[in-house]
Amino acid sequence: MELIIKNGAVYDPVNGINGDKTDISVRSGKIVDKVSANATVIDAGGRLVMAGGVDAHSHIAGAKVNVGRIMRPEDTRSGIKPRTKITRPCTGYTVPNVYAMGYRYAQMGYTTVFEAAQAIMKARHTHEELEEIPIIDKGALTLFGSNWPTMDFVREKDMDKLAAYVAWGLLASRGFGVKCVNPGGGEMWGFGKNVSGLDDVVPNFDVTPREIIVSLMKANEMLGLPHSVHLHCNNLGKPGNYKTTLASMELANQVKASKDRQVLHVTHLTFNSWGGTNWGDFESKADEVANYLNNNDNVTGDMGQLVWGSATTMTADGPVQYANAKLLHAKWGNGDVELEDASGVVPIYYVKQISVHAIMWAIGLELALLTKDPYKMLLTTDHPNGGPFVNYPEVIALLMSNKKRQEEIKTLHEAVHARTKIPGIERELDFSEIAIMTRAGTAKVLGLLDTKGHLGAGADADISIYDIKPDQIDPSVEHAKIKSAFSSAAYVIKGGQVVVKDGQITATPPGRTYWVDASVPGQHTSEMMKDIVKKFKNYYSMQLANYMVQDEYVTHAQVVKAGAIPVEVS
Amino acid sequence: MQTITIKPKKEMKISVEAENICPDKFAGKTEKEIQSLEAWVGNQKTTLGELFSIIVEGSAPAADTKILMEGDFSRVKRIGEGMTCGLVIINGNVDMHLGNKMSGGNISVKGNVDSWAGREMKGGELIIEGNAGYYLGSGYRGETCGMRGGKITLLGNALDFVGEHMCGGEIIVKGNTGILPGLSNNGGKIVIEGNTSRPGSEMSKGTIIINGIVDEMMPVFKFEGNEDLDGVTYKKYTGDVISNGKGLLYVK
Amino acid sequence: MTVITDALCPFCGCLCDDLTIVVDDNKITDVKQACKLGTAKIMGHHRIKEPMMRKDKNSEFTEVSYEEAINEAARILSNSKRPLLYGWASAVCEVHKKGILLAEELGAIIDNTATVCHAPSTLAVHEKGLPTATLGQIKNRADVIVFWGSNPVHAHPRHMGRYSVFSKGLFTEKGRKGRKVIVVDVRKTETANMADEFVQVQQGSDYLVVSALRAILSGHADVVPDTVGGVPKEQLIKIVEVLKTAKFVGIFFGMGLTQSESRYKNIDNAISLTFELNSFTKCAITPMRGHYNVTGFGQVCSWETGFATAVDFARNAPYYNPGETAANDVLLRKETDAAMIIAGDAGAHFPADSVRHLAKIPVVQIDPYWNPTTEVSNVVIPVAICGVEVEGTAYRMDGVSMRMRKMIEPTHPPDTQILERITQRVRELRGE
Repeated sequence: MELIIKNGAVYDPVNGINGDKTDISVRSGKIVDKVSANATVIDAGGRLVMAGGVDAHSHIAGAKVNVGRIMRPEDTRSGIKPRTKITRPCTGYTVPNVYAMGYRYAQMGYTTVFEAAQAIMKARHTHEELEEIPIIDKGALTLFGSNWPTMDFVREKDMDKLAAYVAWGLLASRGFGVKCVNPGGGEMWGFGKNVSGLDDVVPNFDVTPREIIVSLMKANEMLGLPHSVHLHCNNLGKPGNYKTTLASMELANQVKASKDRQVLHVTHLTFNSWGGTNWGDFESKADEVANYLNNNDNVTGDMGQLVWGSATTMTADGPVQYANAKLLHAKWGNGDVELEDASGVVPIYYVKQISVHAIMWAIGLELALLTKDPYKMLLTTDHPNGGPFVNYPEVIALLMSNKKRQEEIKTLHEAVHARTKIPGIERELDFSEIAIMTRAGTAKVLGLLDTKGHLGAGADADISIYDIKPDQIDPSVEHAKIKSAFSSAAYVIKGGQVVVKDGQITATPPGRTYWVDASVPGQHTSEMMKDIVKKFKNYYSMQLANYMVQDEYVTHAQVVKAGAIPVEVS
Repeated sequence: MQTITIKPKKEMKISVEAENICPDKFAGKTEKEIQSLEAWVGNQKTTLGELFSIIVEGSAPAADTKILMEGDFSRVKRIGEGMTCGLVIINGNVDMHLGNKMSGGNISVKGNVDSWAGREMKGGELIIEGNAGYYLGSGYRGETCGMRGGKITLLGNALDFVGEHMCGGEIIVKGNTGILPGLSNNGGKIVIEGNTSRPGSEMSKGTIIINGIVDEMMPVFKFEGNEDLDGVTYKKYTGDVISNGKGLLYVK
Repeated sequence: MTVITDALCPFCGCLCDDLTIVVDDNKITDVKQACKLGTAKIMGHHRIKEPMMRKDKNSEFTEVSYEEAINEAARILSNSKRPLLYGWASAVCEVHKKGILLAEELGAIIDNTATVCHAPSTLAVHEKGLPTATLGQIKNRADVIVFWGSNPVHAHPRHMGRYSVFSKGLFTEKGRKGRKVIVVDVRKTETANMADEFVQVQQGSDYLVVSALRAILSGHADVVPDTVGGVPKEQLIKIVEVLKTAKFVGIFFGMGLTQSESRYKNIDNAISLTFELNSFTKCAITPMRGHYNVTGFGQVCSWETGFATAVDFARNAPYYNPGETAANDVLLRKETDAAMIIAGDAGAHFPADSVRHLAKIPVVQIDPYWNPTTEVSNVVIPVAICGVEVEGTAYRMDGVSMRMRKMIEPTHPPDTQILERITQRVRELRGE
């Protein structure tokens, strides 16, 4: 099956195309240089064409997402859409059902989304949900930051075993990369406590968050994984945490990248760029974080932008969620996973007139606007922590229009003036920069730039056409039109198939699930497995034989091979 | 004034979902237009006209619209849902969710109402002469606020959970109620003339006044001494102490 | 002879996964490590041999072909204005997915057996959340275990050995000796007999007792009367002291709490107690789920529809409101005009009035076993036993999923195949 998109105003920064009228040819699900005269023609009519959106951090599937659903029928009832001949019923806003996840991403022109956290022990659940999410390609990052084997091998300084454990853990969970959430804190939450910084010693394991982060980065690069370590910093949710964030970023200097990408991705920085010492003197330190990124090339970040209204916070950071629930008098989901990590789920409502919320709203935008290189700051809302992903078009409009931002600022708590820099930032991003923050950059950070995030030959034929004519619009002024166009794509093509037309779902093919099969020397695995076998014999509540995710749960697998290579430590 | 008279055409076994029976939906519409409004019987989509005889006199905006319902509506749900004004008079029993989310106008029922009457009510008035089911003036599952405003007067008895999660408004029950009235009350006023049990659990604000017998008191209230309200002496309690409660509970 | 190791037990919510099954000539000859209840289930009993139908409920069944039975099931369901699809707990998640799709296409209500056991827990979760932990967290860390209205000795025989009272882990190497066990119940159960502290609550007073514990914990012992729900205040104060000075408290509750007066509000209150205890110690609360995969249905239904159970698809979109949309809500109101009962026994466990209504309407049963539901059915379709003859996913009471193994070759088709064929036939009947 061949397809050609003609007369599109193409923004494909990877291939240096900046709004030029370029034809995009598609054959057998891939972008090719040319197609035959028989190809189906889609006339873009001068409208905006980009690669399919790629989301590197979103909570779309698994135990905590489902806890969010079970806890929040009031959210589920807020997004109800009956079934149609093509689509299953949709529900929810912050915690949509699996069908809504796929359809709503696709309707915005997104075709690839990564779930940001799964514990190995609960990975089967994650994959059960991923299997049911239609249309989009997906994958899941696996938690390693508080796992007992991780901490044991870090303490023993046995990098071979650690790398073998990471490789095995990715296989066991069919995971795509290494997620590290409040390292050490997950273990301490097992007894209701937390770490308070990079150098706290985790009791009984005698390791520090600093050691865990550095060791996991080294293991990650030893394995040559496509993605870097993906870090949710310690002290998230506490005023003054930007210092911990900057100190964590500096750790990347201790490790050399095995690939052309960062060594460390620090996620949802809206929640980690906080100054002040309490809620009273709370302020933005986004400028300091952006400044660090501007001066260093081995770290990337994503926004975790806050959106007004209802959100559901969910994270493996168990202690921060208990603190949140207490602060907000909100219902509280908690999900400790033995030997591995914690998790928590708490609903929240972001209000313009609450100073902390207004400042957080500004932080996300500051991060995006003060970081010079958009490849270093990806667009996310940390769905559904900062707000649901369906609000990406709102975020895009805010980034492209200072006018919109200024209009918004007028409605916010006055703290936004004194304690953030957002009112004075005039930068307005262009379509190319937006394409980087939502496609090229996310694909690069994930290590998937060969097939995702661009429109060159060899890429997956994931293409979005938006109802905007870039040469006829001033996004600064017509921001409402920008928002509306990105909310409801004119066409979305996934793997060469039209899945959305005029904002409506037209087909629901299953997406693929990416996972990484990393090889290590067999001897390292067998040494490591001796420890794992002991852990199962003595501590796990299930059998090793029943632990790993079976093939039945990944029926459309896209396996990325990686393998052990020597790591240079600077 | 527009008056719409509705009578059931036949006995209903499966509940009818009739959120379209509402002054806001009827106002200014002809008989035919109202008859063709959607209603559901189980999984069958039908029309109001199929199920009810509907006679319309006059034409007026919603505020001057009166819906007069004659007969047994004990299998008709969601009457008056979301109404902002106008009048609904029901000479009979009704099913669940009467006056859901209503923000204005007046509903008056001669008979009994099933559960969730006045759910998430914001304003207006609901007068019920018979008995009520569970969750009178309460919320939807998972929501932090149930009733936010308006007034419900129940002449008969209610089952459990009257005014759960109330954030405002007033509920007056002339008869008895089941357990846990005013659960998680966060700012509403509940008056129970009859008997009840376990009132005011987890209340953080609002007032509950009980003139009958309290079968069991929650062990979470602080006795503050006697206090007179409108010439009647009550035992005054504050609580729920766990919710750091500033709720007021008066028991005669 | 084949020996299957690390097999999962398809009986209760403990989902023990360390069984050894000996199979000879496609017959299970031995079950090792399982408790009596699990062994009995795996060794099998009273199977339905062939599909059966009957015109009216007083007449005898006649054996029919699968095709006939499936066609009749589809006819009954597609003619229904208020169909109910009930059961699910003794089937794997793959069956639940097919069932939810069928419910969607029929415009049916789908509900599971939790409605008569732990669905109140879900209602409480809507109010207060779900502070829980995997069972290994209890095994490795808990030094105080509370069983409230649950009697594991009787209902979950291996729970105490594998996960709670007697289990040993990294921080609990002394096992039982290092633990305090508190049992709260209305009568002195077998589990209470082995407790360090037994709290006897008057029938229906659990809610008051939880509130009193919370009041004491929050420093308001002064407002608590001398006895609450039959429990002396001194004992309540003592319990609070044990709980707040623990390193890790594991609370397990059962139907004694979910099905007694105040029902889900008991759980709601207990979750609040759990929440508040976390300001002093670590505490997790877990329902003692009955059927091995009743948890799984809640999980699947939540991700598919957004709601955990009792979902009404009548208007082509999910609507959820237990009290209105649960199986017994519509049965007791006699709204249900046809029912399909699968992997759950409404005939045995529903209130008499619900069963009486089932006896009056067309009922399709899909189950491996002959049980009281068979007696009220018109069409009976036997299937293979999930977790014995069919592999698939199940969720343990703590939400950990595992893959059930196939132990022997089935003699009957799996539920998934029957549901697919019914769905297909419904589409044909509707000209889709």
